Amino acid sequence: MPDFFSIAYRPVWAVACPAVVAVLILFSNRRPNVREGWTLLGGAVLFYIVLSMPPVLLAGGQIRFAWFRLLPNIDFAFEADALGLVFATTSSCLWLVVSIYSIGYMRVLNEHAQTRYYFSFALALSGAIGVALAANLVTLFIFYEVLTLSTYPLVAHEESPEAIKAGHKYLAYLLTGGVFFLIAILMTYTLVGTTDFNPRGILSPALDADSKLTLQLLFFFFLIGFAKAAWMPIHSWLPTAMVAPTPVSALLHAVAVVKAGVFGIIRVVCHIYGIEMMQVLGLGLLLALIAAITVIVANLYAIGQNNLKRMLAYSTINQLSFILLGVALLSPMAITGAILHIPFHGFMKITLFLCAGAIAAIAGEKEISRMAGLGRAMPITFGAFIIGAFGMCGAPPLAGFISKWHIAQGAVESGTLLFLAVIFAGSILDVLYFFPVIRTAFFGRMPVTEMLTHDSAEPVETVDLKAPFMENRHTLYHFMIVPLSITAGFSILFCFFPNMLNIYALAQAAVKSIFGGP
Amino acid sequence: MSSQFPAIIIVVPLMTSFLIFLCEWWNRKMAYPLAVFATTVCLFSATAILQSVTTLGPFHYWLGGWPPPWGIEYRIDHLNAIMLLLISGIGLLSTFHAKKSVERELPDKTTLFWCLYILMITGLLGICITGDMFNLFVLLEVTSLSGYALISMGEKKAVYASFRYVIIGTVGACFYLLGVGYLYIATGSLNMADISKLLPEIYQSKTVIAGFTFILIGLSIKIALFPLHAWLPDAYTYAPSAVSAIVAPLMTKVMAYVIFRVVFTVFRAEFSIALLSVTEVMVWTGTIAILFGAVMALSQSDYKRMMSYVIIAEIGYIIGGFGVANATAMKGAVFHIVSDALMMACLFFVAGMIMYQNGGHRLSDFKGIFRTMPVTAFVFTVGALAVIGVPPTCGFFSKWYLLLGGIEARRWAFVAALLVCTLVNVALFFRILDKGLFVHGQGKAFRGASRREAPVSMLIPALFMVLAIFLVGIFNQAILDKVIRFTVPLGV
Repeated sequence: MPDFFSIAYRPVWAVACPAVVAVLILFSNRRPNVREGWTLLGGAVLFYIVLSMPPVLLAGGQIRFAWFRLLPNIDFAFEADALGLVFATTSSCLWLVVSIYSIGYMRVLNEHAQTRYYFSFALALSGAIGVALAANLVTLFIFYEVLTLSTYPLVAHEESPEAIKAGHKYLAYLLTGGVFFLIAILMTYTLVGTTDFNPRGILSPALDADSKLTLQLLFFFFLIGFAKAAWMPIHSWLPTAMVAPTPVSALLHAVAVVKAGVFGIIRVVCHIYGIEMMQVLGLGLLLALIAAITVIVANLYAIGQNNLKRMLAYSTINQLSFILLGVALLSPMAITGAILHIPFHGFMKITLFLCAGAIAAIAGEKEISRMAGLGRAMPITFGAFIIGAFGMCGAPPLAGFISKWHIAQGAVESGTLLFLAVIFAGSILDVLYFFPVIRTAFFGRMPVTEMLTHDSAEPVETVDLKAPFMENRHTLYHFMIVPLSITAGFSILFCFFPNMLNIYALAQAAVKSIFGGP
Repeated sequence: MSSQFPAIIIVVPLMTSFLIFLCEWWNRKMAYPLAVFATTVCLFSATAILQSVTTLGPFHYWLGGWPPPWGIEYRIDHLNAIMLLLISGIGLLSTFHAKKSVERELPDKTTLFWCLYILMITGLLGICITGDMFNLFVLLEVTSLSGYALISMGEKKAVYASFRYVIIGTVGACFYLLGVGYLYIATGSLNMADISKLLPEIYQSKTVIAGFTFILIGLSIKIALFPLHAWLPDAYTYAPSAVSAIVAPLMTKVMAYVIFRVVFTVFRAEFSIALLSVTEVMVWTGTIAILFGAVMALSQSDYKRMMSYVIIAEIGYIIGGFGVANATAMKGAVFHIVSDALMMACLFFVAGMIMYQNGGHRLSDFKGIFRTMPVTAFVFTVGALAVIGVPPTCGFFSKWYLLLGGIEARRWAFVAALLVCTLVNVALFFRILDKGLFVHGQGKAFRGASRREAPVSMLIPALFMVLAIFLVGIFNQAILDKVIRFTVPLGV
């Protein structure tokens, strides 16, 4: 009788936990409190399981579990390595936070089909954890697809023609990407006969004079395969998908889904190609150029946006490419920065989304131009928003500073000053579109007619302005305000204690394994 | 006793079907239990045969003790065994599934239905067990004739569809018989193993080549390979749902088996691939069939008709896989025969349940099924994901081997067609899933709609299909290692 609770089984438990929760949610259809109870319990258990793994790994252990043989020479296997654990920790921590938030948001807005919502959410989390802990490309592919399919009902949640159209666009981009991913896996398998991740890369045996072009093409297939990374020009599904309820946009489109794409690219760069191959084939430069263009162009798009969530979507596209840029520079510092930016950007961006959701749910506003004066009515929410916004720009003392600093240092290290300029330009452009929001919210003036509803002396966070249709409305507000305060708090704390949740140590361990040496 | 399973698996259903016919005068209620009895015996025998093949290797059985080439020889290798298991397994589940829908759709023809149904299963099993070219023709006709009759029982237009099928199907059968005649002239034998031994010396003979061509064209009609597919959509659409639930998954797959036998066993690889390069034709026809089926399926508004075109595309997968003609693709194609049968059974079971509850099989009949018929909707989702090829369903793994084989052989057009078809399938099935999931604007009709789930006797077989789809997917390695690996013909 194997010890199912031993450390080797933990990755499986981590993936299974949200999946089991999903089923339980489905059967608690008629009792909302039990249903949400499962979500919270599942979130807590998952967080615990994931947190139990880094200490073992950092102490020099190895957490690998091959379940069964899926295809010749390919196992259905999980491995909790340092890189995967960074992503898993981020996702599981934020799932817990967003679950609390969801309860407030969904109930205040009295949304329909909540069971479907929580079910898909849990399933998507299972997919994200699976992507993080997969030990080879095929296992990763399986969970990547789970993630795509389970988020489709979330994107189309509204069920309005617009939402369904957005859902279709979402699927069209991501599943077409999936097909490219599949063909890339098949090519890799044909070339080297394995798809297991290896810190040194696995493709080097296939490198000879003839196969150079094939390998370059293969990398391009991988890039299209990870359409979730939303690099330009295959980004347009992301802003469209913002019709989803805000908690979905928050967790899935700022953390789990898009990060799965970025994470996948990091995996391919570091663990399939390997740093040396990337340099030999000149692919680092290609990726860096794509990322640099996306960083700048996405920010230019963002400047013109009036819809807050759309603006945040473009900001996400920009930040994702920031991570890609960090990886593409292929220097230890830059990759450390890129890995750190996964959790740090996750925490900051989720704060911004949760703020946007709170503004929409409590004050009923989605457009920036109509938020004049709201900052005074909702001080906590907008306070958190400021933290998130400054974090995006990379200003100290916020988490974004640490990761961006690393990436910038990496750019210097690798001697590509062009990209250093891109990093600074990107950060300055961030300021350009976040600052107006803050200015409007705190110093803007509403037209007289609307002053009555908005510019109240007392903050709306405690006194609601809409006709109350629910007795416990105020309690529900706390379900939104508390989570966003927590993530905002984390965004600050990460600057001072980057090793919180073992993030920094894990990132260093990951980079060390990739580059070898001391 | 145990060595008699090859006979039992044919004789018991054959006799039962006549018994059922007598029930019409004796006791109509006995028809269904008898059908269950016969299919259970078949499943049991098929399992025993498979077990014996996997442990002891291929064996032969002389019917009535007459040695070949005079008597009929049953020659059972791994491919036969897995086909038998597939047919009898789906046959049994489909029997359970059919009960309710037959009672509703054909209330005054139940005995007749069960009689023909069991006869058809006998025919299908017979085709997959016999080692005799002429015997195969006879069983082909048993299957087809009972199939024509069953299909004609369906909706108003079914008679016309069935008549069309009769004409085209008979032409196909004639071609086959003609081809067998040519081979008989050339070799003087009808026994497959015997012919296979005698043929290599006269591969250059015009008679042999003509015979091969006739057989292949005849079978292409029967399998509805593009461009000889025209009979299939009407026949499958207007057939009673109980009939399409058994015909759709099995008929074309069994024909694929026969093509495999003829191209790679009766004739050998050095003839089919090297001499005649018929595989070249197969891979291209397969590619075109995939694309054609996909495009046509997109433009349908009837679920069963749409599925018919999906089947035409799936036939393209299998034939194309044979045509790629390397070990990987061959394994993939055989595995796809299995997985496609499971997927189609699953999805046509859904058609039956939707028909039973909503009285139609148009796409609009799927509206709101996630609320009104959640279990059916779940079954449909799994079936759809399998056809799309989402892991870990069996559809993914068969596609994996087909794609891998295609890449190894540098058949880029075939690979591209498979991938395009995958995307088209996404569009096809998500169109329906949308209807089932999102009922915005339908008002409260669905919001508080009460459950009207299909009867349990229909749900359980469907859930078994779901289970099979997952298990065959997850344990594909075991299946490939123990069974399918051995079906790869020599010289490939």
